[in-house]
Parts: sequence; C-alpha cells; structure tokens
Amino acid sequence: MVNEEYLPYAPYPSPTGTAVAAPPAHGGAGPSSGPWFLARANLGLLLDLLGEDGRTVIGPTVVDGAVVYAEITSEDDLPIGIGDVQSPGHYGLVSRGDRRVFDYTVGPLSPKRWTFPPVVALHVGRRDGRAVSFEAALVDPPKLAFFGVRACELAALGIQDRVFLGGPYTDEDYRARRRNALVVAVNCTTSASTCFCTSMGTGPEVRGGYDLALTELDEGFVIRSGTPEGADLIARLPLRGADAGQMFRAAEEVGKVAATIGDPVPTAGLHDRLLAQFDSPQWAKVAERCLSCANCTMVCPTCFCSSVTQRSDLDGGVSTSDRVWDFCFTAGFAKVAGGNFRSRPRDRYRQWLTHKFATWVDQFGTFGCVGCGRCIAWCPVGIDIREELLAVAPPLAARPEPARPQPIAATPGSYATARIVSVRNETEDVTTLTVGDVDPAFLAGEFGQFAMVAVPAFPPLPISISRFGRDAIDLTIRAAGPATAAIIGMEPHDEIGLRGPLGTSWPIERAMGHDVVIVTGGIGLAPLRPLIDELLAKRDHFESIRLYYGARTPSDHLYREELRAWAARGDVDVQLIVDRSGPGWTGPVGVVTHLFDKATWDGGRSLAFVCGPERMMEATVRALEVRGLSSDRIFVTLERHMECGIGLCGHCQTGRLFVCRDGPVFALSQLGDVFGREGM
Amino acid sequence: MSLTTPLASPDLVPVLASTWFGGGLSPEAVARLASIATLRDVPAGTELFHEGQLTEAMSIVVAGRVALRTLVPERGMVTILTVEAGDIVGWSAVVPPHRATSAGIAIEAVTLLEFPGERLRGLLREDHPLAASVYPRVLQAVGRRLAATRLQLLDLFAHEEWGRRESGSW
Repeated sequence: MVNEEYLPYAPYPSPTGTAVAAPPAHGGAGPSSGPWFLARANLGLLLDLLGEDGRTVIGPTVVDGAVVYAEITSEDDLPIGIGDVQSPGHYGLVSRGDRRVFDYTVGPLSPKRWTFPPVVALHVGRRDGRAVSFEAALVDPPKLAFFGVRACELAALGIQDRVFLGGPYTDEDYRARRRNALVVAVNCTTSASTCFCTSMGTGPEVRGGYDLALTELDEGFVIRSGTPEGADLIARLPLRGADAGQMFRAAEEVGKVAATIGDPVPTAGLHDRLLAQFDSPQWAKVAERCLSCANCTMVCPTCFCSSVTQRSDLDGGVSTSDRVWDFCFTAGFAKVAGGNFRSRPRDRYRQWLTHKFATWVDQFGTFGCVGCGRCIAWCPVGIDIREELLAVAPPLAARPEPARPQPIAATPGSYATARIVSVRNETEDVTTLTVGDVDPAFLAGEFGQFAMVAVPAFPPLPISISRFGRDAIDLTIRAAGPATAAIIGMEPHDEIGLRGPLGTSWPIERAMGHDVVIVTGGIGLAPLRPLIDELLAKRDHFESIRLYYGARTPSDHLYREELRAWAARGDVDVQLIVDRSGPGWTGPVGVVTHLFDKATWDGGRSLAFVCGPERMMEATVRALEVRGLSSDRIFVTLERHMECGIGLCGHCQTGRLFVCRDGPVFALSQLGDVFGREGM
Repeated sequence: MSLTTPLASPDLVPVLASTWFGGGLSPEAVARLASIATLRDVPAGTELFHEGQLTEAMSIVVAGRVALRTLVPERGMVTILTVEAGDIVGWSAVVPPHRATSAGIAIEAVTLLEFPGERLRGLLREDHPLAASVYPRVLQAVGRRLAATRLQLLDLFAHEEWGRRESGSW
C-alpha cells in the first residue's frame, strides 16, 4: 500500500517551465485536447526529431545480454521483440517474436548513469612554488534525451532532484545535466517478478516529471506531453487523436501490470518499524549471504554516496579532483583513523536498508527506494530486499494495512449518529458504552484515538475509544458533570452523535521485538485498552509485557475481570496498586511508580506507554528514565481542553503542539520541555 | 513482638547483596552488615512494630509484603503504603528518636533480614565508612516514600481529567 506521505514525486521544474496540460498541437478542438496516437512506423521520426534538436538520445538497446541505456541513433537500435526474465539473482533476455519495443522492464542501468555519472571532474588544483590555486571544472553537459524512461525511474529522478537540488546546498553539475535532458517516458505494460513499484507508490504508470509519455499498444503508441517542450515535439510529429478504444486499452494494460505486481512491501509505518529494529537478529542472518559486493547500490537508481579522488601529474604540480561513486558496502566506506565503524557486513546491510526505507525519509522526506527491483535481480546471491524488509520489520497486520482512516464528520458542526448497544458500569462513577451502527471509519481507527461525542443540548466531549470491536466501539466515560451524566445516562438503542476518530495513536509497531511497559492510573487505562488488546492478539511479536496500574481505591480499577484474565494468561505481568487501601485489599498501597522503582528489569530494550494525570506521568517518566528508557521510547498522553478536535479552535495548544491534532499520544522527546512545565 | 525463631543461615551475604538496599553497598559494608543480621520468617498478620514505640530493628524485606499503617480515630488502621521485597522497614531504628512513625504489619507471610537496632547503631557509630554508605541508602528509601506520599496526598485520581473533559468546568 502506498504511503502517501513519502511519495518521491516532487517534480523538478521541467527545463522550460512547469508541467502543463497538453496544449493544442495543430490547433482546433478534437484531437488536440486529448492524448494522441503515434503509429508504430513513425516511432523512428520521434528519434529523428530529438536528433535534429541536437540531442543525443540515451535509449534502450541490447548490450552483452541485457537491455541497457546507451546512445542510440535509430529505431533499429531498440530492443524490438525482446523481453526480460528477472528473479532474485537472475536476469535474462527472451525473444518475444513481435514488433513491440518496450516489452522489457528495467535493465541494470538507469538515467543515474548520466545525471550522476560514476566519475565527474570537480576541480583542477595547481601548485606554483608556494602558491596554490583551484579551478572549478567546467560544467558543460551534453544535451540529452532519455528515451523509454519508466515510472520508477522518473520517481528516482524526482528523488535525485530532492537529494541534489533540495538545498540548502545544491549540486550544480547535477542541475546542469538535469536541465539539459529531455525525458520521453513509457508506461509499463509488462512487469518482472522483481518489480514492486506499486508498494513504493511510483508506478507502473508515470505521473509526472516527463516531457513526453508513451503507452505501447500492438499498433503503435498512445502519446501525451507533460511540458511545453514535449508539446513542441507533439506538434512536429504526424499524429492523430487517440480513439477511445486505444485509450481504454492503454489504461487496461497498465492496470494489469499493477494488479500483477500487487503490494509485496507494506510501507505503512515502515519508517518506525525499521528504526525500532537496530538489533534484529535478521541483520546477522542476511549477512551470512551478503558478499558486500555493492552491486545493489551500483544498480540502484537513487544511491548517491560518493568519494573524491585525485589524479595528479608526476611532480604533483597539477591534480584533478574527481567525484566517484562510492558504496556503503565497501570495506573502507566507514573507516577512520581509529578503525572501521561498520566493519561487519551485517552493519553495512543495516545501514543500507535503514537508509533507503527510514533515515532517507528523515533526510529528504521521501523513501530512497522506488521499487524497481534492480538490487534483487543483480544481487549475485539473490538477496530479495522485499523479503528482508518483511523479516526485519514485519507489518503487524497480515493483510495490507489500510491508510490512516479519514475521520468522518471532521468539522465541528457535523456529527454522524451511532446507536448504543449496551451500557456497563465499571466503577461507581465510570461507565462503558458499547456503540454500534458506527461509521466504518471508527472501526478502522487506531489505538489511542478519541471521538467527539455529542448529545443535543450539551457540549460535545472528547472521549477515548476504549475498544475496537468487529462492528462496535467502546467509550469509557467518567461522570464529571452534566454532559457526561447525559451520555452515561443513555440506554441501549439510544442514539448519540460521533465525530472521529481523531488524534494520534500509540506507535505499537515501534514496540515489536521489544519489552513493553505500560504504566497507567485511574481512567487512563481506557485509551490503553485497545493497545493491550492488540499486544495480546499479536503476543508473539513482543518480548515481555508489563502492566502497572494504579487507582485511588481497589474499587476504582477499571475492567477488573479483564485485568484478572490478562494476569491469568501468564505471559503478561499485571500489577495493581492503590492510593488508599480498602476492605479485603492485600495488594500494594502507594503510587504506581512504587511497583517498579526497585525492580531489576532493564529498560534498555523497552518501550513505555504511559497514560494518567500529568503529575503521575511526570513521576512515572522519572522512574522509567532511571530504568534506562530514553525519552524517544516513552510515550505519554496529554490532557488538554479539546473542543474542535482538529487543531483549529486553539484551546488545546501547548507550545507549538496541538494536543487534539498532534496528540494526544506523544513521544516524550517530542514534547521536550513542554512536558510538566507550569502554565503550558 | 512475636517473631518466630531465627532460621539457621550460615551466610547472609548473598541474600543481602541481592536486595535493592544491599545491592548498592560495597562488599565490605555488606559483609559487616551481614555479620549482625538474622533471617526471620514472619507469618501473615504479625505486627512488626507499633506506631510511636521504640523500633527494635531495621529490616530488609526479602519476600512478602508489609503494610505501614496509621491509626485514625473512627477510621481504624489506615494503610498508607506497602513495602515489598528489596526495600527496608524500621528505618527509625537508625534515626533518632528511634520511634516508629507507623505500625508495620505483615499482610502476607514475610521473610525479613533483620538488623538489631542497638547493634546496628553501634556498628555505624564506630565504622564511619560503613555509616557513610548505609545512611544515603536509608535516606534514599525514606526520600522515595516522602515523594510518593506527597503524590498520594495530591489525590490525583480524584481530580483526574482524562476521559471526562467537561467544557467550562475549570
């Protein structure tokens, strides 16, 4: 499933302006407004036009048993009737016996070879007696046309644009090369077993960043322009408007490819999942196979690491600095005078994978992978990056995870109705309502989110969702005034108004493979209950689970039967404590930190989820930090006056954060010194 | 006081070293303290010390739970705090005027590592390095209780806002 947040498309301003809808080519209505059709026999004319414009065409051609990008001059250079078969550690060509030109997928080369060449001169240094001078290398790239660029490769160019031109420092060599290159893209009508562009949100259909885009049909090509420069070419080609049948077949072929590839790498939460797995045993496992040969980074269309080498004349008077490709897999890459920081292949593989799918996001706001599958096919031992991702950081859900649910009735004025199914008293003043007939958005909500709950004549209240059922949700509410009394006083079949689900959730995926510590008090258990449900449903994914739960008196513990059932499982350490003892209570008395401030467990591999009154959380956080939990592994909830639930009314602002929108769940590190500060 | 007969315990050093209290002391300090210690099993319901009376021993709870209780007229004995394995009870044995600030009742069967008050005080008087390592540990335990009791005093759950959030009520 595509994680929209990290889409690589940030189309570099096209050479002559921003992308535009195809302009009229030959004037008039009709064909000029839609995509055009280029007959197969006229494809060579397009190559000729590019040549007439003074461009060197870099297009697909067969060299040494592979379809590679190279300089081509005529249609005859194209891989007509050639297809490829790819699998982990394998690449081979097949003859298809037809006239189709683009029935291969991607070969080992990508446009990176020209936009970021393996060797680029940086400057010439001269020594004259005691004086030295440095002269920047001339940047004078050739005028190119990339021909046959796939959607994943366009996305890779978009990523390179961010890397080299996104600032604050820009690479002028890259800028000049990119500015001088025209892009003729091709929608994929075939896929390899190694493709996963659909997962990375990059293909198989091109979505931007091209001057011309083709889709191949048996009889020719549906063609459209994306820039004025593309439109200019369109105007000079013998075209007619594509008919409805051609447009339909073009869309159908591309759609089939997307369906064939499926969604092999669920990317939802991948960034956090990966960064939580620095000490996964899988790194050592994959390193048993990995040769550290760096093939994967060499064929990668986005890898950009480099070194600078010197070419000097014999007396050292003149030397040229070259920027050359370097690879995080090589032995010397992380070497300093004091030693090598990544001497083991497992460290290098981890560096590469976590950069591509996690820290790249932090660095550039996009994944560093476009799903082209080159690293899979060209790995000499057939390591499949898709399998490694699933092994290191498996998604919690077996099915592809849905995108973050869109809340229903998000604006403060509108409410969807739902019906109360049952009412259950938890304690003297706390009641749980089970609410059915809810919008599916609620059922797809995330653990820790809340709903705005309304009954007419009373102000709406934010209430945590305390359970996600198959067709109902639980709301646990404490009687505190007229509005809560009105809600709690409702009966089965009564209707209430709901908006949501709103707010952030407990980052359960970060806890995978870790010890989990839950510290809560009073009604703070309510927003944690869905998290506990999920932890127990996926028990094997987590190491130890500890629940420390404080309440005012023994009868103030919520969900007492469930607490007993959780404790009876034997694989969860459930410990309760009360501020004030009561009849029959022989358990601990004191504050909740009392349960673990003399414990012997090591928090170094733990994640903590904390919910309760702020003063209680402050004491808890201090006690957790003593146990070795760092602030990025402690998650707390903040309680503020939430009125609109969407960060617009201003009530819940605390520092630069809005609790309803940015919270209520926060990493402690995210809150910084706002946490526990008076008057915030 | 109705403690049972001391258990035969030839070597209490590892027992002491494995507790929270003993774990932070030097091997020398552990050895000296162990030399005056006794391991005792106490049945549930035993009153270990009585509020206001002289504290005869400081003990480390090795197993079980001790409730610290205070008498409140018309409410009876109110449990303020419980002490679990690792922590100390009877710290007033080493802090003048050596009178218990609450009653201590074993609410489960309890195993105690007991240091007789008079011998412990004598040891701490003559061995200053030992005193310098024991007193901070005692203060840590007392300070933690003080901080926890303050939080209890706030009665946070009586006023907690989570889940109610009625507009305009504060």
